[in-house]
Amino acid sequence: MVGGLKRKHSDLEEEEEDEKWDWGPAGLRSYQQALLRISLDKVQRSLGPRAPSLRRHVLIHNTLQQLQAALCLTPAPALPPEPLFLGEEDFSLSATIGSILRELETSMDETEPPQNPVAPPGPQNEVLPQPDPVFLEALSSRYLGDSGLDDFFLDIDTSAVEKEPSLAPPEAPHNLFCAPGSWEWNELDHIMEIILGS
Amino acid sequence: MTSSSGTTDIGRHFEKGKKIRRRRRRRRRRPGRGAWAAAARGPPPTSAAASAPGRPRLRAGRPAMAGAGGGGCPAGGNDLQWCFSQVKGAVDEDVAEADVISTVEFSHSGDLLATGDKGGRVVIFQREQENKSRPHSRGEYNVYSTFQSHEPEFDYLKSLEIEEKINKIRWLPRQSAARFLLSTNDKTIKLWKISERDKRAEGCNLQDEDGRLRDPSSVTALRVPILKPMDLMVEASPRRIFANAHTYHINSISVNSDHETYLSADDLRINLWHLEITDRSFNIVDIKPANMEELTEVITAAEFHPHQCNVLVYSSSKGTIRLCDMRSSALCDRHSKFFEEPEDPSSRSFFSEIISSVSDVKFSHSGRYMMTRDYLSVKVWDLNMESRPVETHQVHEYLRSKLCSLYENDCIFDKFECCWNGCDSAIMTGSYNNFFRMFDRTTWRDVTLEASRENSKPRASLKPRRVCAGGKRKKDEVSVDSLDFSKKILHTAWHPAENIIAVAATNNLYIFQDKAN
Repeated sequence: MVGGLKRKHSDLEEEEEDEKWDWGPAGLRSYQQALLRISLDKVQRSLGPRAPSLRRHVLIHNTLQQLQAALCLTPAPALPPEPLFLGEEDFSLSATIGSILRELETSMDETEPPQNPVAPPGPQNEVLPQPDPVFLEALSSRYLGDSGLDDFFLDIDTSAVEKEPSLAPPEAPHNLFCAPGSWEWNELDHIMEIILGS
Repeated sequence: MTSSSGTTDIGRHFEKGKKIRRRRRRRRRRPGRGAWAAAARGPPPTSAAASAPGRPRLRAGRPAMAGAGGGGCPAGGNDLQWCFSQVKGAVDEDVAEADVISTVEFSHSGDLLATGDKGGRVVIFQREQENKSRPHSRGEYNVYSTFQSHEPEFDYLKSLEIEEKINKIRWLPRQSAARFLLSTNDKTIKLWKISERDKRAEGCNLQDEDGRLRDPSSVTALRVPILKPMDLMVEASPRRIFANAHTYHINSISVNSDHETYLSADDLRINLWHLEITDRSFNIVDIKPANMEELTEVITAAEFHPHQCNVLVYSSSKGTIRLCDMRSSALCDRHSKFFEEPEDPSSRSFFSEIISSVSDVKFSHSGRYMMTRDYLSVKVWDLNMESRPVETHQVHEYLRSKLCSLYENDCIFDKFECCWNGCDSAIMTGSYNNFFRMFDRTTWRDVTLEASRENSKPRASLKPRRVCAGGKRKKDEVSVDSLDFSKKILHTAWHPAENIIAVAATNNLYIFQDKAN
């Protein structure tokens, strides 16, 4: 946990104790953004050599869904968007989301999709449900190919989630995306659509 | 449910036409077993339990609940004086990950106590026979057997490691001199036989003392081998390996009251096994959606009813419990009962769902109630009432205002277990800072105790702990902010008949007993 972030959270904890949901729109929004960032960070960190815990994944995903719904309802702040450092973090995040969905696919499905050259060895012991060809196809075409990613994230708006300056390395922050604004917000929205199929 | 031999309604999930062979176990009586087993149960409890003067007592002579198990029932959790008995494990501050205890389970008679750890090892402790010459010494638990149950594996297909951590151990009811238990990691369940050998044969005809085989033609005279006593050797051998039936991580196993079948549950499916058959299992619950994108709920725990072999329950990450009757349909897709407490709208937050996720479900010994553990509370449900629990006990309500931090440091995903005492009058569960909580269901009193090396003098009484939620901290109180969240008590077990509890604190196993024991 980074120093700046920690301070912010203790503020949030105190606020939450005092007045449950009677915050001003700015306070509520920053709280939700913090939760959003924590949740995305968790999803990113859940990758590893071991199969991710499905329970944890589902709970975080459901929380993200609630946050998305809440962020939809809360008004956008009147303040001008602050400059953001994105740098490598952006690509790692987008690549991560792709790999997370791939991870979900490989760790959860028991049969390999037809397009995968490796076939499962040996007989299965139970009657298997059908694989999910639509989901897998969406994954492989959109996320596993490199060309899709850049186009995918071109028009995203970066204002919804800010990063603390302390996270940035000493050199000046540079914005790799064309338009400042809430890019992460739209990105998340899009990902949610894919995940939820809505 | 008796084991099937192709009956049609459940037959579709078994290969049709295959007969299932059942081997009958021969029951052997070993001499002296009766006396040993009786001694291990300990002296019968007296109703006038020794307690400090002035301390209110439970009503004496309260009858044990039907089916509560042998040995009668001492007074429940709260009016007892819990004392330190033993602690097992290294004192080292540096805890090796492999030594972290991941499951604790007493055998049905309580004479054996099994632990599993993250390194895939099982350690079984046995209660020493009470010594007549030292009537005040209570039976201590000492190491009986240690073996490597599971090894780490690698799934080459998915490039994923399979942890060797023992998720659950369940004992089989005793049917012979040997003891049997099921142990499971994320993917594979194993049936282990633990048997004693205290005699060896000497003077064999075809084998010499070194074990080398003799040429039969060199034997000119036959002799009868003699059985000679030897140092007790306890051997553990894997008798069955139940593998390749779970795509997702196994979180529960439960032996059925028919003593022939058991269930194993992972995040999305529950399978039914016959203890003799390893190459196939029968899927009885499947909540996997056709489209994985629609997945919003997983199975978190499952258990068979203690007396009705057709009834099982499973809990979910959304705080619901479903009771299924295997007689109603082969695939228990539709539950017979659905237990859910309506949400309190005033306490709704982003974390409401996460904290409602049930981490453990346990039937009472009587079979009339079940208990569920969610992040902040323990609830007791009457199986006849689905709308809400009959009791709710707060474990650590002071954490409700800290949920954001607990979400960030992942503690909110910790899965605490809970357990009943032998007569269902008390329940116990763990918390943070090496604290654990006991609730007496008759007096509605609760106590917080701590498992720590500081309180580990022999027969030292445990002092109740208090957590200060806010405001001025009194002397001896611990403030919420100074709680150590890395010291979590996830696994606890209560002896089936006596007031002896086993509490796993990371890599240490604490055993506490009631002073009166």
